[in-house]
Amino acid sequence: MLAMSNITDYLKPILLRLGSMSLAITLLTVLALASVIGTVLLQNQDQADYLQQFGPIWYWVFRSLGLFDMYHTWWFLSLLGFLMLSLSTCLWRNVPRFLKEMRSSKVALSDSAMKHMKHSRHWELKGGSAENVLLTAKKRLKDWRIREEQRGDVSYIRADKGKYHKWGYICVHSAMLVILIGGWMSVQFGFRGNMSVPEGGKESEITFLKGTSTEYMKMPFEVRCNEFSIDFYPNGMPKEFKSNLTVIDGGKEVMTSDIIVNEPLYYKGVRIYQASFGDGGSNIRLKLLKLDGSGDIGSAEAKVYTTFKDEATGVSLEMTDFRPHNVENMAELGKAKDFQDMGPSVDFVMRGPGLKPVKIRSFMDAFELDGENRGNFMQVSFSGNTKEFESMALGLDMSNPQEWELLQRFIIHLAEADLNNKQKANMQAFKAAMDDVFGKGKRPDNFQAMAMRVLQAVQVIPRLPWPYIPVLDDYDQKYYTGLQLAEDPGMNVVWVGSALLVMGLCIMLYVSHRKLWLIVRRKGNDVSISFVGLSNRNPLNFDREFNEILSSMDDDMQQLKKGDAV
Amino acid sequence: MTAVAESNGLWENMYQGRTAFVRYWAYIGLMLGAAGLAIFGGDGYTESNYIFQLVGQDGLMWLGTGALLGAGLAIGYSFLRAEAGQGWIPQMMVPWFDGAALMVTLMALLTLLEPSAAMVSYEDQTNLFAGHVVMTMNVLFLFSAICYMVYLFAPASFIGGMATAAAWGAVYAGGSALLLRWYESYLFMDGEIGHAPVSNIYEVFILLFCITTIIYLQWEKRYEAKAMGAFVMALVASGVFFGIWLDSVGQAEIKPLVPALQSYWMKIHVPLNFVGYGSFAVACGAGMAYLVRQWLEVRNSKMLAVFPSLEQLDQLAYKSVAVGFPAFTLATILGAAWAAEAWGGYWSWDPKETWALIVWLVYGAYLHVRISHGWHGRTLAWWTVIGFLVTVFCFLGVNMYLAGLHSYGRLS
Repeated sequence: MLAMSNITDYLKPILLRLGSMSLAITLLTVLALASVIGTVLLQNQDQADYLQQFGPIWYWVFRSLGLFDMYHTWWFLSLLGFLMLSLSTCLWRNVPRFLKEMRSSKVALSDSAMKHMKHSRHWELKGGSAENVLLTAKKRLKDWRIREEQRGDVSYIRADKGKYHKWGYICVHSAMLVILIGGWMSVQFGFRGNMSVPEGGKESEITFLKGTSTEYMKMPFEVRCNEFSIDFYPNGMPKEFKSNLTVIDGGKEVMTSDIIVNEPLYYKGVRIYQASFGDGGSNIRLKLLKLDGSGDIGSAEAKVYTTFKDEATGVSLEMTDFRPHNVENMAELGKAKDFQDMGPSVDFVMRGPGLKPVKIRSFMDAFELDGENRGNFMQVSFSGNTKEFESMALGLDMSNPQEWELLQRFIIHLAEADLNNKQKANMQAFKAAMDDVFGKGKRPDNFQAMAMRVLQAVQVIPRLPWPYIPVLDDYDQKYYTGLQLAEDPGMNVVWVGSALLVMGLCIMLYVSHRKLWLIVRRKGNDVSISFVGLSNRNPLNFDREFNEILSSMDDDMQQLKKGDAV
Repeated sequence: MTAVAESNGLWENMYQGRTAFVRYWAYIGLMLGAAGLAIFGGDGYTESNYIFQLVGQDGLMWLGTGALLGAGLAIGYSFLRAEAGQGWIPQMMVPWFDGAALMVTLMALLTLLEPSAAMVSYEDQTNLFAGHVVMTMNVLFLFSAICYMVYLFAPASFIGGMATAAAWGAVYAGGSALLLRWYESYLFMDGEIGHAPVSNIYEVFILLFCITTIIYLQWEKRYEAKAMGAFVMALVASGVFFGIWLDSVGQAEIKPLVPALQSYWMKIHVPLNFVGYGSFAVACGAGMAYLVRQWLEVRNSKMLAVFPSLEQLDQLAYKSVAVGFPAFTLATILGAAWAAEAWGGYWSWDPKETWALIVWLVYGAYLHVRISHGWHGRTLAWWTVIGFLVTVFCFLGVNMYLAGLHSYGRLS
């Protein structure tokens, strides 16, 4: 017994502190400040990036504080836990009191309480009837909740409006508790992860980040991607990402449906979202334009994400990405925009003996400017970073093998020509090359443009340090669709809490508890009347409301005075 | 209060008693008709088609029938029940509906000034008329702000009236310009990119100006707090300059919606959020007015005569927060509902979400200390000012400086 009361003695101040307002404010402030960190510091990035960005010491400090996945650290979650504890204590302490207050409120009003009220008015009726006054007043206050009490020769009328506004506090605070509980349920019993499914492929495993490590989870069903497609606006911006999915459960196809962003699929409590996409291993064929002087054109075939290895030269091409469209704004800065699709491209890294590794984006189609064929081009990045791509015009239209042959012949004839007169040498060499390729004296229709391209190419191509130029020749495209799968048993709890929160806020902020008292005192034949009012909020509106009632009351009293006089 | 008393009989009747009641239900019928058209009309709801259905014969039929039915039922009911016209809801709502109807009418008239289809293209949007209307709005807002400031020094009712009139004019210009942009977004690319005008910073800025001003004008009308206008409209005016800058760097262009934004949630989530932001801006204006008044009181300035009392300013700041906070809460919740549909979870600790939470905590704490601790006055005035700075960071700073899922609001 003694021990028990001791414990409560100890607990009481702690509980008081926990449910106190200052703690609530402190918690809200600390929570707000802590949340800022996570918005400034990008969350869940690659660890190597962090290390590079902050250096080893700060990286270690931040990492041990969990700042790279801040919102799931023990300390942030305990802050939320603390908030829940504080909310519960606050509710536990105040709800019974509020309920009691709402149920029982005194009708009678002491004189000292009356003196403190800002809104008050007094009337004296000589020889008036108290009953008439009470009757008229009750008629006036018919929209209000009225209760009466008689104490000796004093009658009290108490009128209330918005008496139940305290439900607002209760709703808001329990709503936040419900939302936090829902959030906890989501984290505890739900999951959220990603899966990539290539077109035609199946997948049943999701991956997700837990702290800094990647974890896997098996779904109770498989997802097959039948097709992924992108719909474009006329200006080349993506309009719609669409996956056609089939859910396979226990070996049986149970459902086939399209999903797009904003319209997920729902199966067995799991939502399947369209989250991303990428190349799902397209078949790529490259032309290899050999630079060994033979003029041969080889070919290489590989899937994206695999490496083509050329045994003869020891050169390898690692295919990293393929894009069917490359829409770029071709207009000069400040001019009206002009979007053009540059056509398909493939990204690969070229490595080989004596070669610096280089990242190349090779385009299939020749580049057209002002209606003129300017030949193929590629983008080259020596750092391997796609942001540092530099454009390199090859000059030749590689779709026409005769142009490649032309260049070869041109180079040979140029070497034989007299180098003293460059213009003349070029001219002669080109004529000879033309004769070689197209037959003596024969010329194709647009040979002038071809000449321009060859002259451009001869500036660039012989200087390339590579054994050959790989140019995208053909492709068989295959996307993968990036899906996000999530189950969230706490979500509905959160919605219930949210509804309660908004409702509670509206009651709390818009319903004010207004109280009016009419105190009628009989003094012999005379009646003395006091009318006072009080509102817990919105004094500006209450001023007006009170004054309106007051002026009508005043009229009533004048009437009564006259009536009694007659 | 006085404004109502001054107005004449007929005008007053429009907003009272049976007339207001009947008009209210006519509007409700109109909206139900629009909803009916969306659900049952034509070949079902398609967003790009709906607008044209609305203004076409189908729209006339559905909306007209709805309105007539609503009005007819209301007239019938009001004969059966004498107290029908006494409710406060119709009296409160009808002016808002009238305002909205006026705005739509204005927009419909403005479409007549739109250049022919051959003159406009996606690539070159300089011919579109909405730009001129926005410029009109800018000029009116700036003029109004100047008038409000002059009013502080020369409190003539003529200047005050001009300030208020210009502010209302700007609201109608801004609102109809936004509606016009909505219409314009269907003018090119065969209407493929049409969308509600709440999809980029430029558009939501116009929305923010209008909402802020409307909320302030409500306070002005009800509580005669005209001196506060100098502060609120100064905020709006600085926003206007930002808007002009946005236009000058090409942010005013109508662009197609990225797939993540193609959802009816956008039309709900975004405007509601800006009701929150707008109210916080008005609260900030009231807070600044409070601080300035205190400063003036020390100097016993002449200007005090036009200022509302400290208590009144304190109340108005609170009132604005009381309007904004539930709206902002609801907007955030609806944002979470959208996120649950688009991003795979209702809360992802994305910078925008986190900052919305921070804003929510700031104003939540404000309400706590005010309601439960009974704080008033200077500290809370500062609180509204600093709270608004946090708000500005939330809706502007996050887009400019922090990456995240909300990145379509970025300046590009």
